[in-house]
Amino acid sequence: MKRIAITLIAATLLFAGCNRGPDAAKSNAPRVGFVMKTLNNPFFIAMEEGANQAAKDSGAEVMIQAPEREIDVERQMQIIENLIQAGVDALCITPSGSKEIVPAVKKANEAGVPVLIVDTRLDQAAADELGAKADTFIGSDNVEGGRLAGEYFAKRYTEETPICVLEGVPGHETHDSRLRGFMEAVKAAPQLKVVASQPANAEREQGFNVFQNILQTHPEVKALFCTNDMMALGAIQAIAQANRTGTISVIGFDAVDEARDAIRRGDMTGSIAQSPHEMGRLAVVNALKRIAGESIPAEIPVKIELITKDNVDQ
Amino acid sequence: MGTKYLLALKRFTVWLLSGFTTIFIRFGRELGPLAGLIAISLFIWALTPYFLTVENLRNIVQQSSINAIIALGMTFVILTAGIDLSVGSILALSAVVMAKAMQAGLPPSVTIGVGLAAGAACGLLNGALIAWGGLPPFIVTLGMMSSARGAALVVAEGRPISGFGPEFQWLAQGSVLGVPMPIWILLALTLMGYLTLAKTSFGRRTYAIGGNEEAALLSGVNVNLLKLAIYAISGLASAVAGVLLTARLNSASPNAGIAYELDAIAATVIGGTSLMGGEGGVFGTLVGALIIGVLRNGLNLLNVSSYLQSIVIGAVIVVASLLDRYIKSHQNSRLT
Repeated sequence: MKRIAITLIAATLLFAGCNRGPDAAKSNAPRVGFVMKTLNNPFFIAMEEGANQAAKDSGAEVMIQAPEREIDVERQMQIIENLIQAGVDALCITPSGSKEIVPAVKKANEAGVPVLIVDTRLDQAAADELGAKADTFIGSDNVEGGRLAGEYFAKRYTEETPICVLEGVPGHETHDSRLRGFMEAVKAAPQLKVVASQPANAEREQGFNVFQNILQTHPEVKALFCTNDMMALGAIQAIAQANRTGTISVIGFDAVDEARDAIRRGDMTGSIAQSPHEMGRLAVVNALKRIAGESIPAEIPVKIELITKDNVDQ
Repeated sequence: MGTKYLLALKRFTVWLLSGFTTIFIRFGRELGPLAGLIAISLFIWALTPYFLTVENLRNIVQQSSINAIIALGMTFVILTAGIDLSVGSILALSAVVMAKAMQAGLPPSVTIGVGLAAGAACGLLNGALIAWGGLPPFIVTLGMMSSARGAALVVAEGRPISGFGPEFQWLAQGSVLGVPMPIWILLALTLMGYLTLAKTSFGRRTYAIGGNEEAALLSGVNVNLLKLAIYAISGLASAVAGVLLTARLNSASPNAGIAYELDAIAATVIGGTSLMGGEGGVFGTLVGALIIGVLRNGLNLLNVSSYLQSIVIGAVIVVASLLDRYIKSHQNSRLT
């Protein structure tokens, strides 16, 4: 028993000794830590691909990590602490919570690691309270995206039309902005009447359930805006089950592959396309600029557009 | 270099496992998980130079503290052969209740008390329904998991609440003698848990209920009252975790703590407490939580894909249970 324990320890020490050299030596290339909200959503997988491509093009190393669940901000904070320990030269973060992530950004500030916020903005009041600072924000204008969807409905329906909305997790900056933009456009078009606006937590299953319930109480509804595609995909299933495919116009957000297929089939009217691949690429490119000591703009916009049957294959 | 490296890795793993098993059998429940923790740490240390730094180790304990504190309460529950699925929701509810009280202008010490009371109240309700309602813990706490989450969303109006001032944040971000506050709190609670279980009649009765509830009842243990207290402890522990989480993130979210019950159960089981009740203890649970923390930290440092991380953690839970079973059969055969 004792012998095994001693062998065990000796072996490990030997093993440890052998491996420390090369590891410590290879850290000449700049290293960028990239913290995603999750990696089980096609949007963030596209972002990951963009980040990896930028790393490959420039010979840098990116460490991409994400919590298992999209709303697990505490786990995001752990990952950020761990990446700081792993000695990254810059951090790209897609905050799962605009307020909750601020102490983690503060920790990066204290460690002298530049922070690039991607996709979802920090809550300004929370950041000011702790004195946390990000070097830039890289993302699409979600308010503008929501407005595009609202304006499409306003143009399409000229008579009084009951519409409804599936919202994301309440209090989440990205979803709130999309909703705000949509509601601004809807208010400018008095013929559009919002009869229901319910949260479905950005999830497909919730989208299905919540919209099924809405269909029971508001069968007259003609159009639906969802603040992401997952909820829209759930909602079109509920519409199909009620044998009403084609009678309700659905616009989602993100234009993921499945949503594009649904648009081609005519099950969905459209989706607002962000460019997550471009977002990931720009994040790493600018992180590397920042590491090299160059200055980067405080806002780096990424293009946003409405995808319909007309332009889905472009 | 590739094959040589793999061979060394394989041989090392075999050594590791045989050593681990031997130690586990020799010293049983308390030291087995500790040996596992050391083995995993050595393994990660061998692979990355960033692991063994004071700063990183402090990080790991701090990161594990929230799960560990919930798991301490869970250990009491599981020792009685019960389960508490509502811990994550109770965490969120007590956090937002506290945050609301703080927004109303009450001083931190009072608001923390309010938050803890909310957690304990949920636990008491769980306990009462289980003890006097005669319902299975799984059902009662499943109901509480949903209701407390809903209540948290109602209280917070669905939005995270933030901005509590430096005094409160000190709980998570301050340190005494170079050791961060969450670690002090964790150590104090673990010690309290240990003393309660090992040195008081309350502790002995907890084991007795888990070992054989009928026998405990017949020998005069007030089983119902004990269960009430134990679920209250679990609720209270979740509330403490909620306070710390709120201080750490400087905000209280009604969506916090989703699926934390799984991590807490995992820490308890990896730490050697039997789901059948009657066997185990809080030191094992602390080690179990640290094992999960070390794994998550190490896998981040090594930049292992997040998909693989889930697989590894799942595997560790199952391997720990297998070892547990193996030991039991080994001990039984020695007895006969």
